[in-house]
Amino acid sequence: MTAEHLLSYFSEKRFVPELRARSKDGVLLEMVRALAEDGAVGDPTLLLEMIRRRESLGSTGLGKGVAIPHGRSTAATDTRVVFARSTKGVDFGAIDNEPCRIFFLIVAPYEDTKHEYLPLLGKIAELANSARDPLVAADSFSAFSAAVREALGE
Amino acid sequence: MSDRVQRLAQVQDLELMIREVEDPAGKEKEEALGFSVAGLAQLHNALARLEKQIPRSDLQIYRRVRRKYERAVVPVMNRICLGCFQALPTSSKRALSETGALPTCENCGRILYWL
Repeated sequence: MTAEHLLSYFSEKRFVPELRARSKDGVLLEMVRALAEDGAVGDPTLLLEMIRRRESLGSTGLGKGVAIPHGRSTAATDTRVVFARSTKGVDFGAIDNEPCRIFFLIVAPYEDTKHEYLPLLGKIAELANSARDPLVAADSFSAFSAAVREALGE
Repeated sequence: MSDRVQRLAQVQDLELMIREVEDPAGKEKEEALGFSVAGLAQLHNALARLEKQIPRSDLQIYRRVRRKYERAVVPVMNRICLGCFQALPTSSKRALSETGALPTCENCGRILYWL
């Protein structure tokens, strides 16, 4: 996957430079709201319900400050990603019990006809691992895009 | 989305999540990425609880549509049912809200919600 392809799932409107939320549920709510404000979701309440339920299966806080909540839902009209940062960090129930500082919310439609959901999840997990520090420092969408391009060697 | 349709959409999402957790390939992929995926019984319990909150007639319609199609609850965008991609009559949304019937596509029978 090229950097441009990966970046096509993101947008400036779905970039949250500093989360106001200080709790896990608040983070999910704020990120779903960013999706809804961008018109990328048919029913935010339904989507939030699905994301919360997915979290109940096991936290998507992967450790080292990274969380990737994700899921497929009837409420999602397309595959989209929200990126958010919290410089203070939020307790997300991560596997290492450390606060999370960067968050990727990945949502995909009920029918993943393009089979892009799992490969995208994999690519973002890889990106978060390889470019964690530049992503934590990315306070604008252009800085974020530059970090993604550099991580993918472009 | 009305409460009735939203509950059916929740059923649809939950059934999808259960299938994902039950699918060894998908579960394996998530676990390989470092995600924990457990709690299948909890999902089944949540589904049973949710179904109890839904009128039997609505659930019957949902089950009937699900037997025919992979996805029973679909969005409508620009008057097009995104299940069968047929145009809906201009009056359909208003007419359905007046009769109190569950909104379904005249062509394919899928349950509708408007974007």
